[in-house]
Amino acid sequence: MKRLRALNHKAHLIEQAASDGHREEVQLMSSVVGCTTTFDPGWEVDAFGGLASLCQPMEADLYGCTDPCWWPAQLADSLNTARDWTDGKNSALRDWRELQTLFPGD
Amino acid sequence: MRILPINKARMALLALCCAAASLPAVAAEYLLTVTRPNNLHIVDPAKREVLRTITLPGDGIPGAVAVPKDGKTAYVLTNRMESVVGVDLDTGKPVFRADFSTPQRRVKGFFAIAVSEDGKELYAHQAPVQLGRSEYKVEDTYIAVFDTADGMNAKPRRTFPAPRRITVMAATGKPDHLVALGWDMYLFNTKTGKMEQTFPLRHWNRPGIAEPDTLAMWGTFEQARAVSTPYFVAKTDVPPDSPEAFKAGIAVFDLDAETLKVKEFENATTVMFSSVINPVKRNEAFLVMNQLTKVDTETGQVLKRKELEQTFYTINISGDGKELYVGGALDKVAIYDADTFEKKGEITMPGGADQSIGWMRVVKR
Repeated sequence: MKRLRALNHKAHLIEQAASDGHREEVQLMSSVVGCTTTFDPGWEVDAFGGLASLCQPMEADLYGCTDPCWWPAQLADSLNTARDWTDGKNSALRDWRELQTLFPGD
Repeated sequence: MRILPINKARMALLALCCAAASLPAVAAEYLLTVTRPNNLHIVDPAKREVLRTITLPGDGIPGAVAVPKDGKTAYVLTNRMESVVGVDLDTGKPVFRADFSTPQRRVKGFFAIAVSEDGKELYAHQAPVQLGRSEYKVEDTYIAVFDTADGMNAKPRRTFPAPRRITVMAATGKPDHLVALGWDMYLFNTKTGKMEQTFPLRHWNRPGIAEPDTLAMWGTFEQARAVSTPYFVAKTDVPPDSPEAFKAGIAVFDLDAETLKVKEFENATTVMFSSVINPVKRNEAFLVMNQLTKVDTETGQVLKRKELEQTFYTINISGDGKELYVGGALDKVAIYDADTFEKKGEITMPGGADQSIGWMRVVKR
């Protein structure tokens, strides 16, 4: 910690927790529950590096991936942080144009 | 079973109460499936129509569906995988609800729910996270046991530890036994909470074969009483650029014998998401995604394959083994002849709503 200096309130709290012997209370997250840590091919290219085993049409896989929070980097997390992203849009094939882009803080 | 055509449902509401006790003289099969935002559908595959739609209470999205042997109540995992709702299929009314989460503790069940064969207990694999002010604390996973008679505010009667990553569970033919599919298959005693046996998949020790990869998100086992899933696996004893280097296989767990069988059947060239075993010819498995595939699980031969017009996630089969039902993803259930793969029919979900990750179960009444 010699080269790191706490600058904000949270950093001070972490520093204090460590000095007070509460280091064990800091938990490493293995994964966000409900969200996979999957980054394998499957959305842009299939498992064989091609396109034939992607879902057909691609909208068929849209809700199937967002509902269980699959590929959380590529799709909205309907399980946790974007629960209303698809409200009223119950057909991906018909309604995909109405789905909005999400930005940090949304 | 009081399954009414949608257009007659309202007019017959009064008569329903009086006639609820009358069951068809001949047992019939019905499909149960779910669509966005939070609907359960009873489908008559013989008539090729949706007989009834039951709107589930609360937030969606519905996914896994568990049904006891008598087929009277359907338990649906919904509310973003944080609740199970049970509905009486005769009246359409909710009779059970278990909310997993509290404001400080988010608990998800990733597909894995099951009900005992007598319908008295519901099992839900749960993954809890404590939501702190500035950090989340991931807790150990477990299986929660609910008494289905506990009604609309059910709390777990007991819990027992279970590994992470469990996505499919089923009661076996032996009392108090529950099989759970995760990295491996685990056999639990639901009374003692003891994991009595592990059937290795991820941890199998097969020379020349690496660890298998599965996407076991759909439970379809009621017809042949066999839990099955496709898997994909690398061979380590051939050059990596060999066509033999990546194989597709199927794992089949017999719910009565409590045995697991695995069989590779082809060099992997296409993805298959889910599978079902033929209850009449038990060596036959049908698999689905962009194609419909029939495999002999004894010889490891691909018997038939057909390109489908769209992706389907999940597959089920009629009790006589003659018709295949494919669904999930978009808004259709398609019916195929199990021998010829000729398309026999198609049923569109009400409102064109997507089934998405929803399961598709068969109930007999």
